[in-house]
Amino acid sequence: MPPDCDRRLEPELLSGYLDGELFQAEEQRVRIHLEDCAVCRQALAELRQMREATMSTRFEPVPDEQWRETPKGPASRLLRGSGWVLFVLWLIVVGGYAAFQLITAPESLWEKLLVVGGLSAVVLLFLSVLLDRLHDARSDRYKGVKR
Amino acid sequence: MDNDDGSLLVRALTGDPSAQENLVRRYRVVAYNTALQLVGNREDALDIAHEAMVRFLRALGRIDGSRPLRPWVYQIVRNLVRDRCRRQALRQAESLETLLAEGAFEPTDAGLDPEAQAIRRDLQRRLSAALASLTEQQREIVVLRDYQDLSYQEIAQVLAIPRGTVMSRLHGARMRLREILHDSGALGSSPVTGGSDAARL
Repeated sequence: MPPDCDRRLEPELLSGYLDGELFQAEEQRVRIHLEDCAVCRQALAELRQMREATMSTRFEPVPDEQWRETPKGPASRLLRGSGWVLFVLWLIVVGGYAAFQLITAPESLWEKLLVVGGLSAVVLLFLSVLLDRLHDARSDRYKGVKR
Repeated sequence: MDNDDGSLLVRALTGDPSAQENLVRRYRVVAYNTALQLVGNREDALDIAHEAMVRFLRALGRIDGSRPLRPWVYQIVRNLVRDRCRRQALRQAESLETLLAEGAFEPTDAGLDPEAQAIRRDLQRRLSAALASLTEQQREIVVLRDYQDLSYQEIAQVLAIPRGTVMSRLHGARMRLREILHDSGALGSSPVTGGSDAARL
């Protein structure tokens, strides 16, 4: 435990002095006090050492991918939303037509399974992207921000 | 207000998305670093920084353009930290000690020789760890002054306390840190004996 100064100087003036935040008269008082108080000189030197250490501390930056981007403008959001709606509608119509054609086509079951397998893979990939998008939209931290 | 901040703010208020984006990019790092030191774990700090930026953008239109932005961001972060502390016990498992071990704080003072850098680095680590031993009030004032370099006036604005209280609270917190560092042997190895220190200041 560091020793205390037993003289008449408000202790907080040392911090104000260190930070250059004192009025001229206060600064003068501290300066005079420091001339013959080794305890306060020691304290001040250590406080300065601590401040230099804190001020030179840098923080590991957060990787860019951990920051969500700020929201896009309303026109961009509208266009993107419309695009998704149209794409899903198109997929339902074309998918339904293709399924109908597949069922009624004269090819063997084996050939139909090959086509269904490939298409299923594409649909599953699409669904995974769609679900990610929905999750992002639900957890968007900036969704309440008006732009 | 910082000139860059001023022009960015003016453009942001006219609806320029790139200006808003730049303001967010600038202040989210400040918000994250401050929150990290106040709460002691990355996940909460990142959450708080995100939320702070949401509030920042929401209130952009109400900002007094003649006042600096930085204290205002700190005020948002501080309020969020307090709210979170009230709502839940913070995840103390990933404490400042853990962050130190993982290198979350990096001393970068290229001007020092390797030995002095090692000593400085050790002191930085001990100081960051000692922050956790302070009370919430003491910790926030040390973070604002000694890590974020706010003036007493700015701190008074952020914490809504008189400037004189800033000085006495800050000194109390610093002396507590000093005591912890003395107890751990990180300070006190080279006592000052002459009058040169006073003269140097």
